[in-house]
Amino acid sequence: MEEFIIQTEELTKDYSSWLRKTPRPALDRLTISIPKNCIFGFLGPNGAGKTTTIKILMGLIRPTGGKATVLGKPYDDVESKNRIGFLPDSPAFTPTLSATEFLDVCARLLKIPGERRKKRIEEVLEIVRMTQHAKSKIGTFSRGMLQRIGIAQAILNDPELLILDEPLLGLDPYGRQEFKEIILGQKRDFHASVFFSSHILSDVEEICDCISILNKGRLLCSGPLQALLSGGGNGVTVDVRSEDALRELVVFAKQTNRVADGEWELLFEQKDPAVEVKINELVGRFGDRVQIRNANEELESFFFKKIEQDNAAKMN
Amino acid sequence: MGEIIAIASGTWKNILRMKVVYFLIVCVWILVGIASMYEILTIGYHKPLMMDVSLVLNAIAASLTVLSVTFEIPRELRQGVAATLLTKSLGRTQYLAGKAVGICVAGAVICTLIAAGSFVIYSQTFAVTIAGTMLKAQLMLIISIIPMSAMAVFFATIFPEVVAPVLTILAIWFSYSTGILSHIPVLYGGILPNLDFFNFRSHAVYLHPIPGFYMILATLWGIAYALFLLMFTSFFFKAKDIK
Repeated sequence: MEEFIIQTEELTKDYSSWLRKTPRPALDRLTISIPKNCIFGFLGPNGAGKTTTIKILMGLIRPTGGKATVLGKPYDDVESKNRIGFLPDSPAFTPTLSATEFLDVCARLLKIPGERRKKRIEEVLEIVRMTQHAKSKIGTFSRGMLQRIGIAQAILNDPELLILDEPLLGLDPYGRQEFKEIILGQKRDFHASVFFSSHILSDVEEICDCISILNKGRLLCSGPLQALLSGGGNGVTVDVRSEDALRELVVFAKQTNRVADGEWELLFEQKDPAVEVKINELVGRFGDRVQIRNANEELESFFFKKIEQDNAAKMN
Repeated sequence: MGEIIAIASGTWKNILRMKVVYFLIVCVWILVGIASMYEILTIGYHKPLMMDVSLVLNAIAASLTVLSVTFEIPRELRQGVAATLLTKSLGRTQYLAGKAVGICVAGAVICTLIAAGSFVIYSQTFAVTIAGTMLKAQLMLIISIIPMSAMAVFFATIFPEVVAPVLTILAIWFSYSTGILSHIPVLYGGILPNLDFFNFRSHAVYLHPIPGFYMILATLWGIAYALFLLMFTSFFFKAKDIK
């Protein structure tokens, strides 16, 4: 049994050419392990190395150093590709072929037997809501339709692992919602793992179990999303709708925000046992006027904080 | 083998759906038919002229068909179509072989249509039957697409789409010019294929027999050359980063 669906160790990629003598580092000793049956968000600003990593994992480019395994096999193993679905960042397909014909070429490459091939193509076109365009030439498709065909070819083989590079790009809000349902369905119904890069942080926050953040080729953090956002699980936020309770708690709080008239939000950085006792006592005394909720940051602010810290560290 | 056929089918469908291909075929038929009007200029040799014209134009059509792959492969690499296909269970050598097979099939279909149309025009114009030598000459021309397609795949893989077609057409031209290049042994019959092995225009025009054994040897040589060149190309392609 493979414990991790993707593992990289000190993965490095430098781009150099005969024109450019100094190599440009795209990926700097990336080490990540992605567990099975997990939706993994791969985040970073433009030029962070996300697409480079994905292309290495798919065997399209060769790393300068380090190791990478996908489904327990070396990244360039051709046979294991039958178990992977891949959607590139800007999907492009043979423009003169129809959607069905292109998917047929893909299905043949994925060694889907003849009798099942036709049925499966119809199924995936239905899933991505492209049945009415099945016979249309790909060259006539819009960006969103191409993205849908891209998703169709990626799930054609019921993959164990879906690797998606910016899958939500070019989709309208309905398309994004449908696509998120497809991703969740792949995990729920087929126990597939999903590795995807995206700039749409709200979507990542909504569907991902784990994330990694990359900046300028370096890994900044990696782990379960909730653990990262709660700063290791120690923070706590208390909503208070009583001035008496507020007076007793405010001395311990790191930050106090007035949400509305007679309503405050108190942030506690660490779960101090003494504070915890005090909060629980106040919850008992004031009932629903004191409510505890986790202190998770939003992914967006967490992301910006990490990137800015890293950029500042590099400047110094 | 299934993977090669899958890539090949995409390639030949792509080429055979271009409207310009059928425009080209009709143009060739018209030019072949026009040859019958050169009776005075050729002092009554317009009949062999028509056969010669049909073979020359068919060779040009074969070269142009092969040339299309020098646009297609770099475009697929640039636009990401190749990346999508190569992330399936498809080796890079299989991708190149599929492209070469696809272009051979498309070229064979186009050249067969041109040859068939030319034969109909020839037999109807002069009320004669088609000699076996003429058929064999056209067949050898179609077989010459095998080494030509390997050359096109080689240039298309190594060079960008601005350079690859120019180099391919130059290489094909040189490969037909064995007389001029015979004093450069490295090029003639070495790096470049000797496409004169497949040139039977004089046999078809003057109805000289073409030995079957020679045809088999030339075909085997063409296949061997194409396989060697594809392996050589694959060696480079495997080391290439696909953007």
